Amino acid sequence: MSSKNKNGNSDVVAYSEMAIRNNLSVVEYCRTSMAALSGCTAGVLGLTGLYGAAFYIFAVTSLWLMILCKAGLSSWKNFFISRKSLLTNGFFGQLFTYILCWTFIYGMVHVY
Amino acid sequence: MPATFLHRFVLSIGFLSLFHSAYSAAQHRSYLRLNELDFTHLPLDIIIQALISLFVIMYGVMNVAGDFKEIKASAELENKSWETFRNIPSFYTFSHRGKFLAFPHQTGNKKHN
Repeated sequence: MSSKNKNGNSDVVAYSEMAIRNNLSVVEYCRTSMAALSGCTAGVLGLTGLYGAAFYIFAVTSLWLMILCKAGLSSWKNFFISRKSLLTNGFFGQLFTYILCWTFIYGMVHVY
Repeated sequence: MPATFLHRFVLSIGFLSLFHSAYSAAQHRSYLRLNELDFTHLPLDIIIQALISLFVIMYGVMNVAGDFKEIKASAELENKSWETFRNIPSFYTFSHRGKFLAFPHQTGNKKHN
């Protein structure tokens, strides 16, 4: 990664791979738990159809904001390279975990 | 800060609260079924409890999951001095000439006198 500074020279920043790996695994852990738990909550609330999808987007966005708050709203650059990829990484992968928990808890609470 | 007992406590409280709201929702459904009413939406207190417990659990999970590390390679090295890096324990030598220089009366005197 290199960024241009004011003089036009490219300023090379070295990243520690171990730290990046550690941060991404922490985020992945949070994201998987968030998918499962928000699926459970959507099932408890009895959401159906597109309301459930909207709730998933709400959950992912709020998790993103919480991670940014944990990293510090101004100092997140110390911990992550890109804020956008933090939001969109694994979006559809976690969606299936979400749907699994959603349908299971919906069946447990509202059908039986 | 590492995961403390408080965060695990918050996490378990959140799980209990979510389970309680699920149980309340199931009871509300059985109440509707017994009275032969139609389901429109859950009571507001169950919805609020479920949402709040979701956020409480997420707060607990985020703190239990671990800490972020600074990704700059120089972040760990900034607080260390040059002496810290020069210090290599495998290359320590204890039997060198400093023994004779520091205590001339013990070892050096015998040889030179």
